[in-house]
Amino acid sequence: MIPTIQASPEETYDIELEQSLLQANAKLAAENRAQLDHHGVTAIDFMGAIGSGKTTLITRLVEKFKDQLNLAVFNGDATTVDDVNLIASQGVPTVQLATVNGCHLDANLVGKALLKTDLKKVDLILIENIGNLICPAEFPLGSRARVVVVSVTEGPYMVKKHPHMFLGADLVVINKTDLAEVMGVKVADLARDAHTLKPDLKVVPTSCKTGAGLDEVAAALLAVTKSGVHA
Amino acid sequence: MHELSIVSGLVESVLDFVAARSIKKVLGLRLCVGELTHLETEQLRFCYTAMTEQTAIHGSTLEVETVPAEVNCAHCSYQGPPKYWDEALASAPVATLQCPRCGLTAEATRGHECEIKTIKYVT
Ligand SMILES: Nc1nc2c(ncn2[C@@H]2O[C@H](COP(=O)(O)OP(=O)(O)OP(=O)(O)O)[C@@H](O)[C@H]2O)c(=O)[nH]1
Ligand SMILES: [Mg+2]
Ligand SMILES: [Zn+2]
Repeated sequence: MIPTIQASPEETYDIELEQSLLQANAKLAAENRAQLDHHGVTAIDFMGAIGSGKTTLITRLVEKFKDQLNLAVFNGDATTVDDVNLIASQGVPTVQLATVNGCHLDANLVGKALLKTDLKKVDLILIENIGNLICPAEFPLGSRARVVVVSVTEGPYMVKKHPHMFLGADLVVINKTDLAEVMGVKVADLARDAHTLKPDLKVVPTSCKTGAGLDEVAAALLAVTKSGVHA
Repeated sequence: MHELSIVSGLVESVLDFVAARSIKKVLGLRLCVGELTHLETEQLRFCYTAMTEQTAIHGSTLEVETVPAEVNCAHCSYQGPPKYWDEALASAPVATLQCPRCGLTAEATRGHECEIKTIKYVT
């Protein structure tokens, strides 16, 4: 008798899929980037905790850049429209991005905002991500540089508590240094923690209130922008 | 909670996979998640259970495997596990991008992934 193996009608399969869940966003981010590069446009996105000063910083940077660069601002946060309206009133095109989950922007949304932007008339796009120190790190948007904005009012352990955010940053802004003393927070400690994670990370302490450090942030972002224009 | 958006993408692609084949029941999935992502296993599983309810893959299990980080240093050619930061505030040592050999900034070559490795189902 020759043994036969009969496939049972109910067969269990365990198959390799190797399907990346972050790939879809990463692909769209690469497409955004290619589109931006094609037009010689630089995008920079600002991440950071709620209320750390992302909108205020962007407003200050718009003041500094608007005479030398054509700007656009994408805002991922619908709650503070005042500052965005102020930017819009300075003649800078702005797009509000409403997220579905409210926890981070993704490359798809940014791609849609790019469609609403005349890229021939823009040099630099500043993108404000949702106030969140965890989620945005996993979702690149296609920007040339990622800025993380933290502030001393969030306490001395921001970097230690949220290391992932800093690993993916190109520039860290430690804002509200005018309040460092009352908060009992040492700016140098936060900077040291960031350098423990990533030794060559550029860290700039700022105060959007007194204006301290803002020129240095502007210079760093201008260097990124200029590197993109002829790339 | 970005686990939610990850899991919704996961459920969507598994439902697509099932719809395209004659699959009677999905038993389980194995997910590989990099150490450098900020995705928590418990959160992922919680989201998975919640989001698969009343779908064709209800009752299937989600197994999560952690992929250890690896770095590559352009300065001294080091390749291997990252330097860890024994930070008292974190529940486990934190992987850094500081090169374990020369101390300059290294690049992560592994640890950012999040993928469905295998799917187990009955036809
Ligand atoms: N003292 C002081 N206050 C600041 C500074 N920068 C921003 N603020 C204030 O901090 C508050 C929050 O600033 P926003 O710019 O709205 O912060 P945000 O990060 O955009 O906030 P969300 O978008 O809600 O996450 C506002 O009242 C600002 O005026 C600073 O350097 N010093
Ligand atoms: Mg804001
Ligand atoms: Zn090295």
